[in-house]
Amino acid sequence: MRAFWPIYKRELFAFFVTPLAWVLIVVFLVVQGMHFFLLVDHFARAEGAMGDETPLTAFFGNTVLLYLVLFVLVPPMTMRLFAEERRSGTIESLMTAPVSSIAVVLAKYAAVLTTYVAMWLPTVLYLVILGRTGSLDWRSAASAYLGVALVGAGYLSLGLCASALTRSQFLAMVWTALVLLALFILGVGEFVTREGTLMHAVCSHVSVWSHMNDFASGIVDSRRLVFYGTLVVLPLFVATRAVEAWRWG
Amino acid sequence: MGSSPSRLRGRTRRAVISVSHLTKRYGAHLAVDDVSFEVGKGEVVGFLGPNGAGKSTTLRILAGFLGPTSGRVEVAGHDVVDESFEARRCIGYMPEAVPLYPEMRVVEYLRFRAELKRVARPRRAAYVDEAMRKAGVVEVANKPIGHLSKGYRQRVGLADAVVAKPPIVILDEPTAGLDPNQIREARALVRDLGREHTVVLSTHILSEVEACATRVLLIHQGKLAAQGSVDELRKMRSSTVIEIVARDEAGGAEGALRAVDGVVRVARASGERPAATEAPETTTRLRVTFAKKLSADERARATERCVASVVAAGAGVREVRAAGGSLEDVFASLTREQPTAEADA
Repeated sequence: MRAFWPIYKRELFAFFVTPLAWVLIVVFLVVQGMHFFLLVDHFARAEGAMGDETPLTAFFGNTVLLYLVLFVLVPPMTMRLFAEERRSGTIESLMTAPVSSIAVVLAKYAAVLTTYVAMWLPTVLYLVILGRTGSLDWRSAASAYLGVALVGAGYLSLGLCASALTRSQFLAMVWTALVLLALFILGVGEFVTREGTLMHAVCSHVSVWSHMNDFASGIVDSRRLVFYGTLVVLPLFVATRAVEAWRWG
Repeated sequence: MGSSPSRLRGRTRRAVISVSHLTKRYGAHLAVDDVSFEVGKGEVVGFLGPNGAGKSTTLRILAGFLGPTSGRVEVAGHDVVDESFEARRCIGYMPEAVPLYPEMRVVEYLRFRAELKRVARPRRAAYVDEAMRKAGVVEVANKPIGHLSKGYRQRVGLADAVVAKPPIVILDEPTAGLDPNQIREARALVRDLGREHTVVLSTHILSEVEACATRVLLIHQGKLAAQGSVDELRKMRSSTVIEIVARDEAGGAEGALRAVDGVVRVARASGERPAATEAPETTTRLRVTFAKKLSADERARATERCVASVVAAGAGVREVRAAGGSLEDVFASLTREQPTAEADA
């Protein structure tokens, strides 16, 4: 695992040295800023007629904007991780150094996860603004950020796996977007299937919409933790096996 | 010329690379077919073969990038499958086409590679400096790799291969895509590496192995066709066939050549590449084959006699050149001797 640190550093460097990273971050922050502005504006006009809805729950849950942003962000963030190295051949120098497959996979994953967290960090400012002007439940806020981190961690892991399974960055991007979309649509099924059926149970279990609603209201459900834990570990495992399989191709 | 390299198997000193019955299969395609050889400490071994012969595959297996389908490969005493980690630590590998990260600066890249190859932090800067000096990239240390010329990128690859001071350096086509000046420099660098490391390199250019290597492994269609010292390869190259282009209006040259001592065969190679400036109908291209048992010196004398006899026959000699001696000819002569090579293996 000693290879983890140099690869992690190089991945972060490689991401931030390209214009793609900065474009993604700017797009992300502009969209989130507009989102926040609209919400606050909306709540300021409504004056307490919103029931238990708060800007916080509205910002993280009950909105399609969060997922839309993730659809757009995650695939381009993860597509290059392995596909680019395989296409350019640098994977050959990388894997002939004394490194283990698991260290390579984890280092790349940690780097992209760090980038993801760094993208969200400036949004803490919104909460600071909210806290200055009114009361803010910081524990719900922490739970909401935990939710954002978990959803992102799962999605990024899927994206990394797709990148390890193909040589083409474009294919990796398309595959990632399709899988994320499929997961989301399956989750939406929660609202169209009848309660009590198996389909409904499955749909509500994977529904990122209701997951985020829970997290945004400060509910940390252990089923969610298990679900996202699986969504992180399983693709990483498949990716590690894929990296090892190239050797025997 | 009684001894072909296949019969004189180079008995190596202490073997640092030992390959036995290595086979690599891609689906139905057999890329490497039951190859066995050893490389001794301090040797510079050249893998020679046409494109697609299985050179790169063999080197990739040595470097630990690919796994063998069957057979055993040991590098510095470590099995490349069971002790892959230890084996990879002993090797500096430069892949074909030298893939590098274009967005990194040369010195950044080499520091990253040194750290990846576990050079301890206090020694890292010195190792990187030394590798840059050896490979001659000090003057571009702070340039992004993407901005470098092909020749410099090749050198960065060499610097990477030696940065952790591995006992074994493996170079896949180290001069591919370089211009003649750069090729000369690259060969000099490889020769220098040979002083401190055991070097294995691959190439499809015959003269390249002669320029760099001390021993040659000839690979053909996934099989080890022959192995021997560079001198033995030179002997094989020095051909037993010469071509004489003569202005032969009387038509006596062919008969005169047949009578020359040491000549076993004379054939008319007509229609082949008539020089545009000459009147093709008046010149004849004759292929003269000498007896195999002649030494290089005796062949030279026989050549003199041939020319003299052609002139004596009233024809004018326009051109004399050694035919054969190309990689293809060496392979052709080897494949003819295949039965001996197999009986010996």
